[in-house]
Amino acid sequence: MSGALNAADLDDTLRADLRRLIVSLADTKRILGIRYSDWLLGAPSIETGIAASGMTQDEWGHARLLYALLKDFDEDPGPVEHDRDPSAYACCDALDAPADDWADVVAFMAVVDNALTIVLEGLAEGTYEPASGRASKMIAEEGFHGEMAAAWVRRLAAGSVEARQRVAAACAGVLPRTLAWMAPDDEPARRLAEAGILPAAETMLARFTERHGALLAGAGVDMPEPDRSDWDGARGRGPGHPGLEAVERARGDRNRELFVE
Amino acid sequence: MKIPVLDRGLPQHVSVHKSGGRDQWSAPRSEPPADATAAVWECLHEVLDPEIPISLVDLGLVYGVTVAEGAVQVDLTFTATACPCMEFIREDVTDRLEQESWIASVEIHEVWDPPWTTERITDEGRTKLRSLGVGVA
Repeated sequence: MSGALNAADLDDTLRADLRRLIVSLADTKRILGIRYSDWLLGAPSIETGIAASGMTQDEWGHARLLYALLKDFDEDPGPVEHDRDPSAYACCDALDAPADDWADVVAFMAVVDNALTIVLEGLAEGTYEPASGRASKMIAEEGFHGEMAAAWVRRLAAGSVEARQRVAAACAGVLPRTLAWMAPDDEPARRLAEAGILPAAETMLARFTERHGALLAGAGVDMPEPDRSDWDGARGRGPGHPGLEAVERARGDRNRELFVE
Repeated sequence: MKIPVLDRGLPQHVSVHKSGGRDQWSAPRSEPPADATAAVWECLHEVLDPEIPISLVDLGLVYGVTVAEGAVQVDLTFTATACPCMEFIREDVTDRLEQESWIASVEIHEVWDPPWTTERITDEGRTKLRSLGVGVA
């Protein structure tokens, strides 16, 4: 298949596959923003917290753009953004629990955020025009996140023994599930690749390794195989879901009566 | 509790601000212009970014204008996907154009491709920014 596509050009199966991808990307951006926001105060320095603030805003800006893609499916994004239960969230499994310490945040940056960007880059070069037209701006903004991630991985890896151990453990802990989320090896993902909407799983895995493998290896982290056990094909992620507290913030529960849009 | 009056999705108090340079906007034309598209660009040139008093046109945020029988479409981008002033800017653009009697409707088409960068700032915009102490590479 070639040429620019919109949702109306796709059959029902491929539309569902693409919708799964969009919601999963948007959910991951939204929950990642919450995980970053927890550290606007309490980061290792004020400057780092300010950077985390900027990244938080970027992630929510990207989530808004991605949820808005549902309009191309003649679907109101509102209920998806504000009314789903935690069990319906399709974010990357690695974000289900909040970061325990700054090393966890660095792992979210270096692994999850970088994996998100790999997927966005795939969409940007793909045939689904509504996403490719938006991805380039998101990728440009993500460039700063990638620099921040690399700087912190190197900084902690070059620090004390404990700092090196903690960042290595944090990255190693989120890598297998993140790689599975980034590069699903199932029928929907294969159909999207055949339609030219997204690269094949092995291509994205290779890109991640090529781009970030050396950085992680420098911190003592080997590239593992994706952990695809108990894969949830309906959501495009592993089992489980983010906690209610994060979902309540993602949905804006406490401000529900104050919404003006 | 007093319920805020809504205007285009914003609380009333937000709608009476002077963002967008609206206190400096020209009075509407008394006659329809010969070149409607050029006139729309002139109007948009008066709409300032809410955070820094530079025209949206000089910032390079307006990607295109089309006019058909009084219906105006503005192709507009933002400096960032999480720009906190999106609603202000949309409202300012719409209000400036709708004050012209020859404009029947305004549609803002959000555009992200190509992504905005500082390279899109005009020479005039760069001069103004420098005068405000903001350097642009």
